[in-house]
Amino acid sequence: MDMQNKRDAAFSHKEESDLHVPEFQASPPGDEAQLQESKGISEGPQSKKSLTPLQDSLHRLRRDIRSMVSSGVILFFIVLAIIGPSIYQHIGSPYQSTLNGVVPADQYHNFSHQELDRINEGPSAQYWLGTDGVGRDLLARLMQGVLISIVVALLVEVVDVVLGVLVGVLAGYYGGWIDQLLARFTDVMFAFPGLLFAILLAGILGDWASTALANVPLIGPNGNARLLLVSLALAFTAWPLMARYVRGQTLQLKEQQFVEAARTAGASDLKIILGHIVPNLFSIVVVASTLNIVNTIIGEAGLSYLGLGVQPPGSSIGVMISSASNLIDTHPWEILLPCLVLVAIVLSFSFLGDGLRDAFDPRSKE
Amino acid sequence: MVQFLLKRFIGLVFVVLAVTFITFILGYLAPGDPIRGLLGPHFDPLTYARLKHAYGLDLPWYQQYFNFLARLVRFDFGLSFETQGMPVWDILKSGVPNSLELGLWGLAIQLLVGIPMGVVSALKANTWVDTSNMAVALVLYAIPTFVIGVLVQVIIVQMHLQLGTNWPVSGWGQTWQYSWSDIQFKLLPILVYAAVGVAYFARLARTSMLEVLRQDYVRTARAKGLSERVVVYRHALRNAMLPLVTVLGVSIGFLVTGAFFIENIFNIPGIGYITINSISTRDYPVIQATVVLLALAVVLGNLVSDLLYSVVDPRIKAS
Repeated sequence: MDMQNKRDAAFSHKEESDLHVPEFQASPPGDEAQLQESKGISEGPQSKKSLTPLQDSLHRLRRDIRSMVSSGVILFFIVLAIIGPSIYQHIGSPYQSTLNGVVPADQYHNFSHQELDRINEGPSAQYWLGTDGVGRDLLARLMQGVLISIVVALLVEVVDVVLGVLVGVLAGYYGGWIDQLLARFTDVMFAFPGLLFAILLAGILGDWASTALANVPLIGPNGNARLLLVSLALAFTAWPLMARYVRGQTLQLKEQQFVEAARTAGASDLKIILGHIVPNLFSIVVVASTLNIVNTIIGEAGLSYLGLGVQPPGSSIGVMISSASNLIDTHPWEILLPCLVLVAIVLSFSFLGDGLRDAFDPRSKE
Repeated sequence: MVQFLLKRFIGLVFVVLAVTFITFILGYLAPGDPIRGLLGPHFDPLTYARLKHAYGLDLPWYQQYFNFLARLVRFDFGLSFETQGMPVWDILKSGVPNSLELGLWGLAIQLLVGIPMGVVSALKANTWVDTSNMAVALVLYAIPTFVIGVLVQVIIVQMHLQLGTNWPVSGWGQTWQYSWSDIQFKLLPILVYAAVGVAYFARLARTSMLEVLRQDYVRTARAKGLSERVVVYRHALRNAMLPLVTVLGVSIGFLVTGAFFIENIFNIPGIGYITINSISTRDYPVIQATVVLLALAVVLGNLVSDLLYSVVDPRIKAS
């Protein structure tokens, strides 16, 4: 068992130490008050300052400069990706193009619009970060690329958390065949390290997805159909690990006295799971999914870089890197830009994940 | 021990079956008729039927899966769809030595650089040596391989343009040959390839070493008056290395995924490079073959590390 655990921890692709985040103070909010009452402790003025474990953790997080800077960077990129494009498209006057006639700003500031006689330009008043090899606005492409990263991360994390918590809790609480099934399934997914499953899925079904879903709004255009496939593959490989963490935590929780107390009081399994187990999984799920976002964003960028994700003229950080990779001798800026943004985002999520873990479990810090 | 081996073996068979089945069924379900693609818009129905039969594509899925498995055992991955009639293995064969060479060097550097880095860090815990080692490890670990690869290329190319240094950024040279020009080709890809593993092993070795140094038997050894050298190298280091055995599978995993990126960035004609090319030509059998081969490598790596661990640490058998 020990060996198994070690391997799991190693497979988290993250930290050597296991993701041991203890539950918040393992008692439902009501109990504490009752306990205090029964002990005859009166609510003195000083007890106003007592914090819930969550508040306590957030306090610790707020004091951690690295986590705060990381959160700031992440927030900046989220805002940039979501509201940046609509602002950017309203800035600038119509431009007299030699090839396309008069082009308004909302067109030449669109991530897929080409001005073939304005290729590989440096930053200017019209193109704030310059243009790429076929005359597309780099800032617009960058914002779209970051948006893609965020959307994929969100999609994958929803599946990861829902499936991981559901299966993990059931496996941990009931054991038996569902536990066995999880163990076997995890074994199989571990045989596809990292992106191998995604490469298989996107490689074989990619063309089909992009033609079959071509006319579906939002998903169809700009090669986003493949993106759905990539997200699916990434989520599919991610959730067993989440389920393992949740399972381990559930195993510990169900031995706790407050669960026993609830059971003695006649609470149903469902009530115990929803009322006592799931709320106490909060910290481990938050930490594990923050760290998994790192893998997801790298995964999407990597697959798009290999040509398996977003297709040009659609934009993604990976696509930007790959389409600039034959310009490294003449225009290194075009490849450095997406690389640096990707590094900034990935490092921020790593730091935030580490910070969250330390905040939830101060003992994990050496 | 026998029971442990048996259990492990049954698990292995299950995983192998599952992996091959997933790989097979995706190709089976993939829409688009490869034979039709092969023949072009105008074709003779008889030729079509003959080819369909030749590729075994007219059989029901379970029979096709069985054939897939049966051929797999003989290292026969079927015929390529793209290069007419050419066995998949013949296509991949040329890439295997390059990928293997890259992989072995990558693994060697992961261990030879990563472990000493971690051990030194642990011995000098919380000094500037430790801090800088771990900072390097963190950066190497967090930045994706392909970004490191691309950045290295940018640096080399710019050095070439600015300073006139002459160093190749693409290609592989002769397989298993190490003349100066071969080394020039191989050095950077191998280093970039190993980077993530170096970081991983450094962090793992550091944690493991720190844990061992806190153990009672290390304190006992010190109390006995043994020299620090003996304590560190004979008592601590050996035991600290044990857990590292278990992550052999993980490190093979890094190598497998890394191969796709490194080979594509540096234009190394290995199986990762060939596979990505096959994806653009929809040559599914090639993709399937690569995925099965690599997944099996990982499964075997995990098995070997499990077995090794139970050999080096007898306590494991108890559970």
